[in-house]
Amino acid sequence: MTAIVVQDLRVSRGGTEVLKGISFSVDPGSVYALLGGNGAGKSTTLLTLLGFLTPDSGSASVLDNDVTQCVSRVRQQIAYLPEAATLYPHLNAYENLEYFLDLAGRKTTQLELDQALDEVGLQLESRSRHMEDYSKGMRQKVAISLAILRETPVLLLDEPTSGLDPVAIDEFNALVRNLAGLGKSILMVTHDVYGACQVANRIGLLRRGQLVGSFDAPAGERIETDRVHATFAERATA
Amino acid sequence: MMREFKFMLRDKAVWVWLSLAFVFSLAAVSLGLNEVSQQNAEIAELKQLDRAERRTNLAAQADWGSAAYYTFHITYDPPSDFAYAAIGQRDVSPWKHRIRMLALEGQIYETDANNPDFALVGRFDFAFVASLIAPLLVVLLLFDLRSGEQVAGRLRLIEASAASGAKLWWSRAGLRVSALAVALCVPLIAGGLVSGAPILTLAFCVGAVCVYLAFWTMLTLLLAPATRTGAYNLTTMLGTWLLLCAVVPAILTQLIERVVPLPDGGEIVLAQREAVNDAWDLPREATYEPFLQRYPQWADHTAWNDEDGFEWKWYYAFQQVGDQTAEPLSQSYRVGQARRDELARWSSLISPATLMQRTMERLAGTDMQAAIDYEQDVRQFHGVLRDWYYARLFKAEVFDADVAIETIPTFDPVGR
Ligand SMILES: Nc1ncnc2c1ncn2[C@@H]1O[C@H](COP(=O)(O)OP(=O)(O)OP(=O)(O)O)[C@@H](O)[C@H]1O
Ligand SMILES: [Mg+2]
Repeated sequence: MTAIVVQDLRVSRGGTEVLKGISFSVDPGSVYALLGGNGAGKSTTLLTLLGFLTPDSGSASVLDNDVTQCVSRVRQQIAYLPEAATLYPHLNAYENLEYFLDLAGRKTTQLELDQALDEVGLQLESRSRHMEDYSKGMRQKVAISLAILRETPVLLLDEPTSGLDPVAIDEFNALVRNLAGLGKSILMVTHDVYGACQVANRIGLLRRGQLVGSFDAPAGERIETDRVHATFAERATA
Repeated sequence: MMREFKFMLRDKAVWVWLSLAFVFSLAAVSLGLNEVSQQNAEIAELKQLDRAERRTNLAAQADWGSAAYYTFHITYDPPSDFAYAAIGQRDVSPWKHRIRMLALEGQIYETDANNPDFALVGRFDFAFVASLIAPLLVVLLLFDLRSGEQVAGRLRLIEASAASGAKLWWSRAGLRVSALAVALCVPLIAGGLVSGAPILTLAFCVGAVCVYLAFWTMLTLLLAPATRTGAYNLTTMLGTWLLLCAVVPAILTQLIERVVPLPDGGEIVLAQREAVNDAWDLPREATYEPFLQRYPQWADHTAWNDEDGFEWKWYYAFQQVGDQTAEPLSQSYRVGQARRDELARWSSLISPATLMQRTMERLAGTDMQAAIDYEQDVRQFHGVLRDWYYARLFKAEVFDADVAIETIPTFDPVGR
């Protein structure tokens, strides 16, 4: 079974076609990085997989469930990290995590919450403070830990490293590799060519709603950053 | 549910609106209780004075005619145990009349002169809070329920996390509105316990409040979607509130008043007074003929004792004829009132706020029907009083103050 299958997907937003027939798949236990410039259609792809947008044509499925037909089953299997995720500012990190996890039907212990927050590197002393006092990166860390704690087989992450400092990015990349090692299938949207090459088994290059390039990591090795970067830049100027 | 309950308790805005609801309801119920106890105290005092004054007056008279002329009788409509919640018509229609044997219609409609026209908004009682302020609070609690999450960028995360988005919004809205119902109804029930209102009436009223709030909840969820901004939703909902709670009721009232014109209370008073005043100069038969049509039993007792003198029985006969002259007008006034009320009842089906208000006034016995019923009680009592005096006047009985004090009919509001 393939984790995510997208076939000839066409999606329009506000009357213009944003995704112009893209196809790709994500294997179980692998990381797929969707690279592309602003407005290329990356977030749109994730929103379509979550059933928020209806495709004009083509199909998309998550763990063999069609995303237009089994919206709630699909959503249950996905942990979604939205672009610029915001949680409730009047709650602290624990309360936010508890609330959103309960919403998804998952009860957690304090220990589990602390472990997840340790993994993303949020300082202990900030955790009981209201999130309105958090920096952008701190908020992002809580949102990432929320996605991890969902313990779903599939993760859709929209620019997970935005706002993170270099140390936190390295930690995050290690975390993603670790999750893939545990069998999670991860589709990750990013602008960060270097980061993508660090963690992804496969990279898709999206440009104006079309996949214009695809790179696979050789077994046991990483994708060469220079190659991706060159293609990214070349296509961007073309 | 527990999760959403805890979540709601952390929302400061919810606390603000709920406290406001509680304060409004508490104030309305206290004012209502105060008004009702004032009315009760006034009635008790009037009853006492009434009895004492009648004793003194009757004792000072020498014949039945002057006894009837100088003795007043208090009539009143005691507030029900639930009237504190909806003062209703008791604000605008009289609930007490001090009457005597003279022509009655004038005595009833005289008070019409201070009938205020500001009754459009009405008194600040629980019915006002429940029918006009409560919907506003529902709107304030719910207009930004989804659009607020959308603007804050949480909507997608919430909907992607929740097993059922619809269920989440319903439970959030349901909890907030339930809390609102509690904040509104606790003072109401407390007031009911204080005044001794029937449990069933209280339960029915609470039920009506809940249904009404549920209506506004659905309306708000329907008209305030996530895709709009909070400001847009608030504008839509305030407009809807204004329309349903002010514009539609005002238009319906105007329409009904135009469709069913009412004679002026003053016209009735005038018709009756003219008839009475003219009677002095008319031949006696002109008075006795219509009088005897109504009271044929006194046909053999109209003979004049002193040809040039004054006869009380004739005097009271033309008082009665004055009422008879005003009767068609007074009748059409009552029919008009009832017709207006009937139309208002039907039209309230398209005006939820009016329906709510009317339901509460019905429960409290303070609606138009109750006011009309009281007026009929007064007429009926006046009839009893007349029968009693006629028997003494026409049979030329000897006046006995002690007997009069003992046996004179008194108004008894029992029956409603
Ligand atoms: N709500 C919307 N309504 C209409 N068009 C939209 C909407 N959101 C995005 N678009 C359009 O869809 C296209 C793709 O947007 P999308 O958000 O998927 O880009 P992206 O690749 O995620 O960009 P970024 O890197 O800036 O996040 C853009 O041209 C954008 O103008
Ligand atoms: Mg994006």
